[in-house]
Amino acid sequence: MASRKMLDDPALDARLTFIRRQSGLDPRAALFVLSPVTSAEIGDFVRSLQEALYEPAIEYYTNHSKRVRRKRNRHSQANVSYQLPLTTIGSTSAQRPLRPEGWTVRYEYKMACFAEFRGEDDIALKHYHDAYSALHIMLGSTAILPPRTKRWAEAKVLADCISVKICKLYLYNNEHAMALAHHSSHMRLFSDLSRGWGIGEETFEFWSWLARQHRVFAELLEQGTRSTLKIPTHLPSPGVASQTQETQRGSLEVEAMRALGLNPTQALQHPGFYYYMAARCTENRRDRYLRALENESSHHASPGFVNERKVDHLSIVLELYTRAYELFKKYSTSSSQSQGRLTLWIAYLIAQTYYESGKFEMAVRFFERIAKTYRREQWDALLRPLLSTWYRCAQHLGDMELSVQLLLEIIGHGPQDDQDDPESLEEDLLAVLKSTVPSSDQVLTVDLTESGPLLDTSAVFWKSHVNVDQAAAFQITLTAPEIISLASLPFTSLLVQFSGDLPSITVQHTAPESDADVSSLQKIDLGDLSTSSSDNEDKDKDIKANLRWRPGDTLILCGNLTSSVPSNMTVSKLVLTLKEGNWNIDLPLHPNSRRSGTIPYPRWLGSLSPVRFIPVHRDNYSFVVVRHRPHVVKVSLSSEGPAYLGEEFPIVIDVTNADDRELDIVVDILLQPTEIEEADNFISVDEERSSSLIKGVEFGVLPPGVNMNKTLYLACSGAVGDRVIDISVQSRSMASVSPTTPVTPQSPSQVADTGETLRTLVVPTVDPITATHHVTYRRSTKPSPGLGDLDTFEGDYWDDAGEAHVVTTMTSVGPSGIFVEGLKLLREDGTYAKVNESTVDQDEDEFLTEWHTGDEFCDQCRISLARLDEPLGGGYIPGPGTYEVSWRRLLPNNQKGSLAKTRFSLPPLKPPSDGLIALLNVPNTAKLHQTIPLQLTIRNGHPTKSANIILQLEPDAVTDGFVVAGIRNGRLPILLPGGEEIIKWNLIPIECGWVKVPKIKVMNRRPPPPSAHGQAHDVEGEGEIVEVVDVRWDGRPEQSVRTSVDVARKSVEVPKVEMHPSDAAQFAAVVLVLP
Amino acid sequence: MAPQLRLNAVAFVSPQNHPILIRTFEQPRQDELKYHYIAHTSLDVIDERIQAATASKSTDCYLGLLYVEDVAVYGYMTPLKVKIIIALELSDSIVRDADVVAIFKALHTAYRRSVANPFLRLNVPTENVTDHSILVSAGNSRWQAFRKRVDEIGRASYGFVPSPLFLVTSKIQ
Repeated sequence: MASRKMLDDPALDARLTFIRRQSGLDPRAALFVLSPVTSAEIGDFVRSLQEALYEPAIEYYTNHSKRVRRKRNRHSQANVSYQLPLTTIGSTSAQRPLRPEGWTVRYEYKMACFAEFRGEDDIALKHYHDAYSALHIMLGSTAILPPRTKRWAEAKVLADCISVKICKLYLYNNEHAMALAHHSSHMRLFSDLSRGWGIGEETFEFWSWLARQHRVFAELLEQGTRSTLKIPTHLPSPGVASQTQETQRGSLEVEAMRALGLNPTQALQHPGFYYYMAARCTENRRDRYLRALENESSHHASPGFVNERKVDHLSIVLELYTRAYELFKKYSTSSSQSQGRLTLWIAYLIAQTYYESGKFEMAVRFFERIAKTYRREQWDALLRPLLSTWYRCAQHLGDMELSVQLLLEIIGHGPQDDQDDPESLEEDLLAVLKSTVPSSDQVLTVDLTESGPLLDTSAVFWKSHVNVDQAAAFQITLTAPEIISLASLPFTSLLVQFSGDLPSITVQHTAPESDADVSSLQKIDLGDLSTSSSDNEDKDKDIKANLRWRPGDTLILCGNLTSSVPSNMTVSKLVLTLKEGNWNIDLPLHPNSRRSGTIPYPRWLGSLSPVRFIPVHRDNYSFVVVRHRPHVVKVSLSSEGPAYLGEEFPIVIDVTNADDRELDIVVDILLQPTEIEEADNFISVDEERSSSLIKGVEFGVLPPGVNMNKTLYLACSGAVGDRVIDISVQSRSMASVSPTTPVTPQSPSQVADTGETLRTLVVPTVDPITATHHVTYRRSTKPSPGLGDLDTFEGDYWDDAGEAHVVTTMTSVGPSGIFVEGLKLLREDGTYAKVNESTVDQDEDEFLTEWHTGDEFCDQCRISLARLDEPLGGGYIPGPGTYEVSWRRLLPNNQKGSLAKTRFSLPPLKPPSDGLIALLNVPNTAKLHQTIPLQLTIRNGHPTKSANIILQLEPDAVTDGFVVAGIRNGRLPILLPGGEEIIKWNLIPIECGWVKVPKIKVMNRRPPPPSAHGQAHDVEGEGEIVEVVDVRWDGRPEQSVRTSVDVARKSVEVPKVEMHPSDAAQFAAVVLVLP
Repeated sequence: MAPQLRLNAVAFVSPQNHPILIRTFEQPRQDELKYHYIAHTSLDVIDERIQAATASKSTDCYLGLLYVEDVAVYGYMTPLKVKIIIALELSDSIVRDADVVAIFKALHTAYRRSVANPFLRLNVPTENVTDHSILVSAGNSRWQAFRKRVDEIGRASYGFVPSPLFLVTSKIQ
């Protein structure tokens, strides 16, 4: 029928109608025929089917619901009247009709189902809840539902089913907390009921039921998570305090409640937990069952018990645990790097179950894996039950090696809290050793270094460093724990291994002669051990000790280690050997290990009687560093006083080999960079020169006691200050270059025997000579050329603007004298200044002598200045020359140092400028009654202002010693800027001696500039007084304030003329008149 | 609403996940091993929480409810990474975080005071100050005070409603 060609068959309609009629289908209702569709189209087909059916289905179930609701309402109205008779009848008859409560449950359940079919989850949930609570009431009364009847059993199962439905509907709605709350309240309610029914917590029925509940819930969650269910995370809300404010707002009350905390019983977890719970319950179930089995007689009739007997509890447990394990693994985020502890815990339970079910090999495999983590994290409490189960597995498997190993580990961990007596484990071990033979003759090595060691050990060295061939004392302490007895374990020997080439030593057991001899502390001397004694290793030391430890006993092995090569010496391993029958067991011990939970507590046995220990307060007590003996090299540096700038300052480095070995000496010299400005320093040794580092200056091989020196030259320039030199003297022992001792392959790589001696030298550097300058300026006496003078346009025309006198004082300031070999003034004539003459040029030989500290040398030099065309930048004319002093340092042994040169340039010049000035020129001497000329040059140096000069000669009637011929009082033509006027007088002296020249007053009749000074002179009303300068005594300091202290006033030979405008009026030139 | 939090067990775990001290207060005393396992397995969840906390840059010591078995397990990590785990008896009521934090603070203080004991470091090599084994040894049976302090807090949770104030004053004595 469902083929393509049938679709076109004319008989199709008739046939379909027939089918409809036959099936009693409504003509409106749809009839679906599965048409031949490809698998790709099947989805569409199903969807169309659903679309077509959805509406009618909803309608259908709605109608059903309505019908049921009508029935229920009718029933509940009839309830009151029918209740009593029904109860009486129901109690007697076995096949009684349903009670009204029963009907309620029935209708509610139906309505819930229909609502669920309609997809109305909320309504379904409500009806399920009603059904559930009605059912709970029914089950709560033994009168309504007597326990252990068929209907009771049905009701119980129904309640469980409804509970699951409710949980599921909650989860649909993402209400995890409600779902879990319902789940737990269901379990709680029915636990209470179960107690009433006589299937309380002591019965396997109860646990079976509880396990089922957990399992169903877990499966539900698992199904849910496969689709859209998300397991919530219960992270604490950030900041409890901040959330309290929200509660005050009171808006989101539910949120706030959640923020404050949550009900742990309502925190949904991933399904693994519920599988785990189910497994635990099943374990309990088995437990109860086994207990029931013991008193079987009372129970055997019960059908439940018969049923229980068929159940393989362990495989159920195993299945549940395995599922839990997988889920825990899936949900653990603590990824691959370590196996999760939760999964380990489940794995442990699985292993226990395997053990219970007799699959010992599986169990052992699990235990091996689990124990690793527990050992590493030192959870002894967890390890102990694990080990004991493991041990029992090993016993069952007959694996004697494993048994022995585990027993030793258990002993290492100590007894469980109190149940074992301290000797039982030891007895167990001995029993195993005596009763069995090992599977092979090979030595069994039981490595307990990861887990708890049998003995507390500590290896302590007294010193942290020793030199080569020097003995290092050590003590190895082996202490038995106090909580467990090892006294009867038959240890036969103890092997002590050291690092490197040191020979190992075996201590043999020897029984004490009598028990009275045995003290709790034994000290055994192992003697001196050294790397060089390895040849006579076969020399049997035959060390014996009592290798039996009673609780708390201590064995101390002491001795000295010596190494001929630098290395780290340590006790690398201790191996206890235990022999019993065919058993031969090696127990390696770490030289420094403690039982977990105790702090390593290194101590040194100070004395044996009384026993006294010295605590070792050192971190690296467990090894000793062997080093070469330090080289004894003496280094002395000698130099004379401070270095002078410019010279090559000799520093003698003297190296003495004070050791008893031949040493190869190499010196590195580093000149530290300085922060001194313009410092250009370098050092030189032999032919090497460097401004920073000279490396590898060979001093050669020095035999013991030999010394050698080299001279290092330090040359400094720039400013004074300290120069720092680091000198590193490296010595290398010649013995280690060609080692005489054969190097065994396992010895550490040869450490070169080197030493280094460091010296730092600070060389103060000073100037040998300092120079000071004093400058005075003189005005030109030459008449200035006219403005149009053609000569001034010549290239070599020197527009004379006066002279500068420079007095230079050089002082030898160095602490040791110098010998001056040459002193020159190097001329560097410039545009505006040139050196006219200098005293240095004249008598050179006189000053080429030794200059000692404080000696001074003075030079005068005249510099001719040219008129400035324009003001200079900075205002200074550079000094037109440089003094160069060539000198050698005077060394203490009458020798002279290297030739050095020091230069001082002439100071920069700044000639003062004049405004309006009057220069008085008069001869120094005159003869009585013979005419001398007096000449006054008035020069207007002002750049812009012209001058209106009034001249006044004021002969003094009383004191005048001259007769004057010339102008007495007059006015000069206006003097233009740059102009000059010369006025001449003739004087005839009429007195002998120092005679004053008549006073000449020069006034400039122009309104004075409105300055404070000008105001003062305004009193005279005439105008500004012009300064009159006697050119014979002309000399001015620089205009600008030169604060330099180097103006040595005492050396100035020219009388200082301090011109002050107010003095100018009183100025009077003096002439010596001779008879 | 003042729910009485019944403290069943307390565990202190060192930063290297070695147990420092595990005390159980359940009456009658039974199944102490169970709490060892609970403490150990909680470390997994704590690791998870720490990762989450570092991701969200949270500096809160309180790690919240770790998981629920037949007890509710809560975790706390001190700034120096010592983990404190407590097991509270299940009761069908909301456990306020503030109450749990108060218990943790009290336990943390107890631990801090015990580690501050200068005699813990007696005879220990002086350079060894950062060695965690000292912290672990604080839980050793030789040091009674720590146990006493923890037990006192445990008893307090059994006997009284734990108000933070009470816990603090009980330690100051």
